[in-house]
Amino acid sequence: MAFDADDEILQDFLVEAGEILEKLSEQLVDLEQHPDDSNLLNAIFRGFHTVKGGAGFLQLDALVNCCHSAENVFDILRNHKRAVDSELMDVVLEALDHVNAMFEQVRNREELTPAPDELIAALDALALPQVTGEVVSTERADVPAAPESDQDGGDITDEEFEQLLDALHGDAPVSGAADSSAPDQPAGSSGSGDEITDDEFEALLDELHGKGKFAAKAAAADDTQAASGAASPAVGNDGELITDDEFEKLLDELHGKGGSPTTGGPAEKTSQPKAEPAKVLPEQVPETKPAAPAPAGKAAPPRDSAPVAETTVRVDTKRLDDIMNMVGELVLVRNRLQRLGSDSEDEHMHKAVSSLDVVTTDLQAAVMQTRMQPIKKVFGRFPRVVRDLARGMKKEVNLVMIGEETDLDKNLVEALSDPLVHLVRNSVDHGIETPDVREKAGKPRQGTVTLSAEQEGDHILLSIDDDGAGMDPEVLRRKAVEKGIYDQDAADRLTDTECFNLIFAAGFSTKEQISDVSGRGVGMDVVKTKINQLNGQLSIVSALGKGSRIIIKVPLTLAIMPTLMIKLGDQSFALPLVNVVEIFHLNLTRTNVVDGRECVVVRDKVFPLFHIKRWLVKGSTGVTGPESGHVVIVAMGTNKVGFVVDQLVGQEEVVIKPLGRGLQGTPGMAGATITGDGRIALIIDVPSLLQHYS
Amino acid sequence: MKILIVDDFSTMRRIIKNLLRDLGFTNTDEADDGNTALPMLKSGKYDFLVTDWNMPGMSGFDLLKAVRADENLKTLPVLMVTAEAKRDQIVAAAQAGVNGYVVKPFTAAVLKEKIEKIFERIQ
Repeated sequence: MAFDADDEILQDFLVEAGEILEKLSEQLVDLEQHPDDSNLLNAIFRGFHTVKGGAGFLQLDALVNCCHSAENVFDILRNHKRAVDSELMDVVLEALDHVNAMFEQVRNREELTPAPDELIAALDALALPQVTGEVVSTERADVPAAPESDQDGGDITDEEFEQLLDALHGDAPVSGAADSSAPDQPAGSSGSGDEITDDEFEALLDELHGKGKFAAKAAAADDTQAASGAASPAVGNDGELITDDEFEKLLDELHGKGGSPTTGGPAEKTSQPKAEPAKVLPEQVPETKPAAPAPAGKAAPPRDSAPVAETTVRVDTKRLDDIMNMVGELVLVRNRLQRLGSDSEDEHMHKAVSSLDVVTTDLQAAVMQTRMQPIKKVFGRFPRVVRDLARGMKKEVNLVMIGEETDLDKNLVEALSDPLVHLVRNSVDHGIETPDVREKAGKPRQGTVTLSAEQEGDHILLSIDDDGAGMDPEVLRRKAVEKGIYDQDAADRLTDTECFNLIFAAGFSTKEQISDVSGRGVGMDVVKTKINQLNGQLSIVSALGKGSRIIIKVPLTLAIMPTLMIKLGDQSFALPLVNVVEIFHLNLTRTNVVDGRECVVVRDKVFPLFHIKRWLVKGSTGVTGPESGHVVIVAMGTNKVGFVVDQLVGQEEVVIKPLGRGLQGTPGMAGATITGDGRIALIIDVPSLLQHYS
Repeated sequence: MKILIVDDFSTMRRIIKNLLRDLGFTNTDEADDGNTALPMLKSGKYDFLVTDWNMPGMSGFDLLKAVRADENLKTLPVLMVTAEAKRDQIVAAAQAGVNGYVVKPFTAAVLKEKIEKIFERIQ
């Protein structure tokens, strides 16, 4: 089957089938909760089926094969010939893993690694009905390399044909019993009884035209012809199997009857009672109509809302990134113009600038909207993760997801994926107790992990709750001392919240026994770093015996950031507004020194004070500052510190531009931006600044 | 000849469209299931329908039945695309008035042959 898989089609396939596979993983886990949901079974069947169909054209035989076997399992399931159980789910999920792996290989243009034969065999075994005595529709464990090759050109037997005729007359249902009567078939295709050949189909059409005997004769002739040429299994060759003579007769017959198959008696008979679907149509027409003229090739219809989604266009994310970037530039120009406009007396100028402001703001919002994706994309992975973990650890865990529709920037969705997986794993592994322990503690055997997302202003709040054991601050304190992170004295002074935050410290793991899931103490600090990179914040609430809650707060988008502009000397810097807690004026002679550190007391709270000018501006290291200055209190998690700055410029929305290659990775700098007055300001990365200098 | 391609999988529509284009049929439209296809067929003066079997919403089989039940469409030639040549399916489709079927994956040559066969029969 030579098909020139041109690259565009391959890309289309990757995107579209990728969506299907993602959905499949969700659906499969869903299925375990609702094993009898026939809509779900159908959807899963169709998912594998569709991927298989596409892969077939692209000659991805290994992928076709695995999908095919999985599809067969679901064909049996949806026909209620077998029930869903956990063993079956394990096999099917493993199959999906292999499909995903192969898919990844296709994406990377690598050679496909076929699924192991044992897996295919296991799937094929599951594709047999549980109830014996019926003939299986398809079974081809023995021909894994060529799943589509079993349409034999001429394997119709007289018996089969008789049955076909019977079936057409409605006397007897088609049964696959003929299988046994075709022992002379080529290699291992036991499924041929259920498959129709082209010749049979031709005969069938003839039959439906009411030609009766002629068709039988023709097909019988076909049969002998085909038997002689049975070596070629290709579907396409069958045309030659009808002799010219027969064909002439066939045409004559058809012309005599003067009709297409549609006017045939039996056809009309069968179509009448089944015309019901057509009646439903009028009400569907109005909603589907507008979608109809849309050029469908580029559309990305999610399966369930297909008719509506046909109005959508698939766009390369690269293009969206470009647009976002250009809007970013536009925002900068607007800031610039605003600054210039405010100096000007011209009323028209003011008007023009303010309408530019409005339009740019709207444009920015609209472009951001196009980059939004529901968090569901990440959440979708969790049912599977939790299921596998719980099964592996013999725990009973129910995963509840709230706010899956919450939209956030595409880049964020991707960036959050790993940290979230880690946190969820952690909740299941460390949080939720085993069923027996839970029962003793008077809790339901099944633990609950709740994953929720909601938008709060220009932030997204994500939280992971579990009703597990919770964390014991005392244990954490002890651990901190053991690991030498704090001395006993300092550890005792930690608040409970600070203790909980210890789990995000590098090299900190309280689990005595390391499991293969979590507990190596590498993960959590990576999570924290990652969230910090996203300008996000992490916090923990925990109650011993009741459970823990981890809250992640991240900005809606990564590209545009509200900042507080400050000046050190005559150089501008931008402090991310998320970090800024308060600003005040301070007499710098009235600071205290504790533990050799300069501190400031604000409303009875002590904050370390840093002169960041000494760190960031050349030549100001030893210089004693003025007697009074502005102090910005910034927060990272539960830590709060004060920065002394020379000047506060104001709040400005900046577009983050990465630093040049030579400067990348400069500690304390998140990037740069162009300010309203056309100058470059460096954006301060507070956590890394403190880490590096303090 | 104006052809409507119905498949829920847009990649597949594109593949079929490309194959048809290779055969010289450039006037093609697409629909993603029976529910979208039927109104298009009713208003669009199509000469040929290529439809997938297995689709959510309205399946190819239901679409076929709806087409045959419609006074204006009942003579429209229909080619069914299926994944397997399952006997009972094809028999049912033939009874419902399908003109031809083609098994995935197929080449332009196979498609051509199927189409020719259908038109030979009709004429």
